[in-house]
Amino acid sequence: MELQNKKEISGKVSKIGFILLIIGAVLVGASFMANKERAFFDYLIMYMFIISIALGSLGLVALEYLVGANWSTPFRRISEFLSSIIPLLILLVIPIILGMHDLYHWTHKEAVETDAILKGKEPYLNTQFFYIRLGIYFVVWFLFFIGFIKNSTNQDKDGNVIYTKRNTTLSTIFAPVFMITLTFCAIDLMMSLEPHWYSTIYGVYYFAGTIVAGFASLTLISVLLKQNGYLDPRIGNDHFYSMGTMMFGFNIFWAYIAFSQLVLQWYADIPEETFWYMMRWEGSWKYVSIGLLFFHFVLPFLILLPRSVKTNLNRLKVMSIWLLVAHYLDLYWLIMPTYTHKAGLHGPVFGWNELGFPLVIIGLFMIIFRRRSMKNNLMPVKDPKLEAGLNFHL
Amino acid sequence: MIKKIVNIFKKVNEDQNPWKDEKSDKVYAVAALFNTPDEIIHAAEKVSNSGYNDFDVNTPYPVHGMDDAMKLKPTRLGWFSFALGLTGTLTALGMIFYMNGIDYNNIIGGKPFFNFPSSVPVTFALTILFTGLTTVGVLIALFSKLPWLNNPLLDSEYSKATSQDKFGIYIKSTDSKFNQSEIETMFSSLGSSAVSLIYDSKVNEKKIKTPIFETGFIKILIGVGVGTAVITYFTLNWVIFQMPFDWMVIQPKVLPQEKSKIFADGFGMREPVPGTVARGFMPYEYKGMPDSLVKLLANPLPVNEKTLLTGQKRYDTYCSPCHGNYGKGDSRLRGQFPNPPTLMSEKVLNWTDGNIYHIITNGQNVMASYAKQISRDDRWAIVHYIRALQRSQNAKDSDLN
Amino acid sequence: MSYDATYTKELPLVPERNSFKEIDDVILKPVDSKPTKKWWIAISISGTALAIGLFCWTMTVLYGIGLWGNNNTVAWGFDIVNFVFWIGIGHAGTLISAILFLFRQKWRTAIARFAEAMTIFAVLCATMFVALHTGRPWLDGYLFPYPNQNAIWVNFLSPLNWDVFAVNTYFIISFVFWTIGLIPDFATMRDRTKSGIKKIVYSVLSLGWSNSNRNWQHYERAYLILAGISTPLVLSVHTIVSFDFAVSILPGWHTTIFPPYFVAGAIFSGFGMVLTVMIFVRKIFDMEHIITLDHIEKMNKILLATGTMVGYAYGMEMFMAWYSGYIFEQFTFLNRAFGPYWWAYWIMVACNVGFPQLFWFKKIRRSIPIMFILVLLVNVGMWFERFVIIVTSLHRDFLPSSWAMYYPTIYDFGILLGSFGLFFTLILLFVRVLPSVAISEIKAVAPGAQPSHKHEGGSH
Repeated sequence: MELQNKKEISGKVSKIGFILLIIGAVLVGASFMANKERAFFDYLIMYMFIISIALGSLGLVALEYLVGANWSTPFRRISEFLSSIIPLLILLVIPIILGMHDLYHWTHKEAVETDAILKGKEPYLNTQFFYIRLGIYFVVWFLFFIGFIKNSTNQDKDGNVIYTKRNTTLSTIFAPVFMITLTFCAIDLMMSLEPHWYSTIYGVYYFAGTIVAGFASLTLISVLLKQNGYLDPRIGNDHFYSMGTMMFGFNIFWAYIAFSQLVLQWYADIPEETFWYMMRWEGSWKYVSIGLLFFHFVLPFLILLPRSVKTNLNRLKVMSIWLLVAHYLDLYWLIMPTYTHKAGLHGPVFGWNELGFPLVIIGLFMIIFRRRSMKNNLMPVKDPKLEAGLNFHL
Repeated sequence: MIKKIVNIFKKVNEDQNPWKDEKSDKVYAVAALFNTPDEIIHAAEKVSNSGYNDFDVNTPYPVHGMDDAMKLKPTRLGWFSFALGLTGTLTALGMIFYMNGIDYNNIIGGKPFFNFPSSVPVTFALTILFTGLTTVGVLIALFSKLPWLNNPLLDSEYSKATSQDKFGIYIKSTDSKFNQSEIETMFSSLGSSAVSLIYDSKVNEKKIKTPIFETGFIKILIGVGVGTAVITYFTLNWVIFQMPFDWMVIQPKVLPQEKSKIFADGFGMREPVPGTVARGFMPYEYKGMPDSLVKLLANPLPVNEKTLLTGQKRYDTYCSPCHGNYGKGDSRLRGQFPNPPTLMSEKVLNWTDGNIYHIITNGQNVMASYAKQISRDDRWAIVHYIRALQRSQNAKDSDLN
Repeated sequence: MSYDATYTKELPLVPERNSFKEIDDVILKPVDSKPTKKWWIAISISGTALAIGLFCWTMTVLYGIGLWGNNNTVAWGFDIVNFVFWIGIGHAGTLISAILFLFRQKWRTAIARFAEAMTIFAVLCATMFVALHTGRPWLDGYLFPYPNQNAIWVNFLSPLNWDVFAVNTYFIISFVFWTIGLIPDFATMRDRTKSGIKKIVYSVLSLGWSNSNRNWQHYERAYLILAGISTPLVLSVHTIVSFDFAVSILPGWHTTIFPPYFVAGAIFSGFGMVLTVMIFVRKIFDMEHIITLDHIEKMNKILLATGTMVGYAYGMEMFMAWYSGYIFEQFTFLNRAFGPYWWAYWIMVACNVGFPQLFWFKKIRRSIPIMFILVLLVNVGMWFERFVIIVTSLHRDFLPSSWAMYYPTIYDFGILLGSFGLFFTLILLFVRVLPSVAISEIKAVAPGAQPSHKHEGGSH
């Protein structure tokens, strides 16, 4: 069987991506002109979403090596391509650093001086250490990313099994590192928006969302490629069923974590914690909160439950887009209330100011995906597990 | 006796086929054994392609791809599970809503009596419980049609082989295309290692479709149901009230009505010390007075809605158990106490308010004094209410005006 | 090109030399043969422990829980420590039988039956502790909502009541899952046995199962559904157990990471216990070819992973206690690590996070003696984890005047010993009367058990 992927992803993808990126960038620029503070928060949402997909995809690559899964081997390249945005993360963080004062209350010197609790947190929440930590995350992610990609692409040349072994070792080290960096990244960038609030499960919460986003983007792109005939004909229902099940399962995991956090803080009813939920319950934020429950969990759960949905490519495509949007909404729900609360609004804001940011994300990923797919094979053609993966049956 | 039982056991133990039902000479099926999974898949494909419907494959474990080879429809078990799981969800939510939201409210940290977050764990558990139990029930009873202990296959060499290491296929004689010799040739040509005939057992001649609807099984079910009900009844109404260890219940104190060795008269309950009165005690000066004097007592309360409602409430609480809700002497005590006379008699109708008040206060015959339970004003209110009852029970047409 | 076998295909789960008949013989050997001397010794030890436990149990019922070391400040002591400990042990069974099934980890078949049995026995041990902990266990019927003459319903807002539902559901579903897996095996035993009485028993228990594919089809789906619902169930049970603590406002208990942390800890301790028992069983009953060193190595990897997850939770709790900026949180965690119970805390950290790190080395993962010591330490460590959570959080609360220490009494230890006695007695009885490896499942994953792909081609 000829494994080499001859068909090349059309240049249109790049072009459309570029157009989207330009439109998005213009809108983002306008958004910054119109309302700088609000735009910074929107930017943070966008940034966290990019991290979710990038790190979620890298996590999936590591996961495959870690558990020795076969079925996902033909798709591994897709995750690898998606995680290729990791080197760009350091560039994309610049606006956040510029907007520190607007975003993070703990950067206000005078506020910290008069607040005993913030004063107590100063050894952790101060700008220098914040930069250092961000730097550490990026370096660590970048190094692991390079490691995984190098080994994986080098294997395409000679199919040496040593690369699989190396990546397996790498993935065992990456697992704890991934969990810790992701946790502290979420704490730094999102939880510290409300510096008084804390929750020990926060890292796991973001991790759950990340993995959902990773699987959803993988599913979306695999389905699109399959429908346009880029994938090997042996990739069939059983593969997509597995993918859908994983997406479904991790989405339940997300709901479980979200519920755990909610019920514990709701039940204990300590004002130091509940104010965070109250901010998401005031005014029309209430409807966003309830909407998140239904949009992120209840409806996808019911829709993805039957087997037939998970083997139908069109439905699977809709559901993966749905879950990506849900993850975006989740991040919006995590980040935006800080802004509306500060601005004295009693409800969510959504308007043209927000529209540019998703376009930038889509554009960026389209361009990067096309570029990477030009350089590399769409499948790890000489991976020793590939044959077993292609012939995978339930 | 014991020897007899031991002998029975020995006999059963030696006999290799405890339910040796008579085999009829009717052929139940033609069966063939194969050695490898590839062969059996091939055989199943051949048989289903040849248009047989009444056939089955027996393998020591589920063989992949067999469902397709046999052209079986996908199982619908999942839908049952989903529907029954949903029943569990609704049951749990309804239960919590009724029990804590309506019937018995608990104030816990000022939380709503019925709320979403705290209902989730129990709802979840019951959903799972319903789904799990019913899935297994439906699987066994409806889909697998078990238990079926007199399946003609059982105890045949064929069955013994297929539960260990061989793969078997058989075509039932009920199939419309059944032709014994043709099938035997087909099996042999497929490379079967052993082709055999399976004879029906006598018991099976009356066709059993779903064993769960058999009378015998239903009888067992009813028996189990009744047994469970009886046990549950006794557990809930008797067993849990048994106190094998009355460690905290028995305490060194005298309960009401109990005897006591401390006092000479042996009564645990004491009279007040002579010459003393309890706080707030008001003597009733008509005690022991003749009726002629008591008659003169007048009801100090005015007749208005408030008094009558108070009277009704007190009457219903204290008087109605014996005198009945309408004073007709229809006691609710079911003979545990002699029924009192009706309050609607000519005699009582002619009494003054004072007479009635006097009897409530002092008691009469079996009736004890209610002075301690009912305050003075309330006693008078009861008298008003009795009057109202008397009038309503002996109403004249003129009362309608 | 020649690849390393590990990366091209899964290792054979059952070595080639076993024919199906041999599988039957090996697995059913303990059931078919008379008990050996070793077995009698083992059951007399566990029986003695059980008897001691029963004595302490009876004394507690007769004289009340005043016999225990619990006091006003430390109102939950060994009773709840042991309850959580045993419930946690049970979780490995469901994990192996359900979650690994969903992830199609075929190596689970060798240990699934055994682990499920352990689940059931462990949950029994756990319920014993909560039943006793109520003080007057003969009134435990009131834990269930049934219409009674007091017109009182149970309080559904109470996490302790959630426990009642969760633990009972867990027990019932685990039992059903286990039983349904036994049906085909009973059929095999029925067809093998030479004794008439056993034949009657097995026939009834197998419900007349004839290995028909029309039944297998539904059976497989039912198994999948049960696995599918057991997975969230097992997560929910320990989650709800963690709610018992975490919905309170007590520092050290009220922390949002408790649910996943408890679940990870439960799986960790459960695998520790499964391994502890498995190491013996495969030796005593000559099952080294069915429960192979590869299976055990995989379990050690899971131990390493979950141990590290637990370590993440320890670290997160410590960090957040500091980060929260509230003195009570900060005090509780400092008190845990450096207060009067420092030794318990450091035993916990060492046994749960420290020593399992040795499993990074393949040699240790495959060395039975070292591994045995390590899994024993895991059991100890996880018991201490619950001790640390419960006792150290309670013994010094908001009010310094009511600070106290907790001293367990001989009865506490007696009942703990008794629960181990009960557990191992049941295990020993189980391996004698039931097949401790799922026969039909192990056959299905034996080499050559499934048709080759060429043949299947047409149907897909």
